[in-house]
Amino acid sequence: MQKLILVSALLLLGACARLDHVQIGDIDQSNGALSPISVKVSENGVEMAVVAGVAAELASQSKRNQQLKEIRDFLALINMGPRTGNPVFFDTYAQNVLDALYQQCASGKITGIRNIREGKTYGPVSGEIVRIDADCIL
Amino acid sequence: MIRLFTALLATLMLSGCMSLNSVSLTQIPSDKGQLVSAKAHDWVFLGFTTQNNFVNEAVNNLKQECPNGKLTGVLTKHQTTAYVLVFKREVIASGYCKKA
Repeated sequence: MQKLILVSALLLLGACARLDHVQIGDIDQSNGALSPISVKVSENGVEMAVVAGVAAELASQSKRNQQLKEIRDFLALINMGPRTGNPVFFDTYAQNVLDALYQQCASGKITGIRNIREGKTYGPVSGEIVRIDADCIL
Repeated sequence: MIRLFTALLATLMLSGCMSLNSVSLTQIPSDKGQLVSAKAHDWVFLGFTTQNNFVNEAVNNLKQECPNGKLTGVLTKHQTTAYVLVFKREVIASGYCKKA
């Protein structure tokens, strides 16, 4: 029970923001007033190896504990390699950001595009966020 | 011996280990203007933070360096300096400002 409370507390309190990538584009302030626009899309990411590790810690039977540790190691091996953030289940979640950006800018003149790749982490689960901030020339 | 140990410890604690998270550069025209730069940072203890607002601060600072002008050739660096238990996250941006 104590373990469960501890794990729950860690998951709830560990909501950390992560910043992976920032790119600032050209900014044109010479063609009129600017109005800020922004698009943010997010997909759930899960670190399955950590989930299996926590489950192994919570398992009361030693045999089940061992099995979960083996699953944890296997998951860690298949997810090994360079990556940004946790693995997500759908890789197309950021495809429509350009259309969404244009919908916010009636003049169609967009400048100062900032591409920000960030994340919100809640223990083994995370929100893998793609945020595009920009300015619409009015 | 204690002095040497203290000096070594202080050096280790005060000197930061830097990592470069990302770098980007936009196109540079031939008639580029004056080089301007801006930066913003925040401090994070043990990696716990709930926001990345300092990025917006860097953009606003860069805009203020080129009022009513056009910024091109924007170089953006996102870097992190690790001290003992504390991290400094920083965005440094520079670009060429051509006044209208």
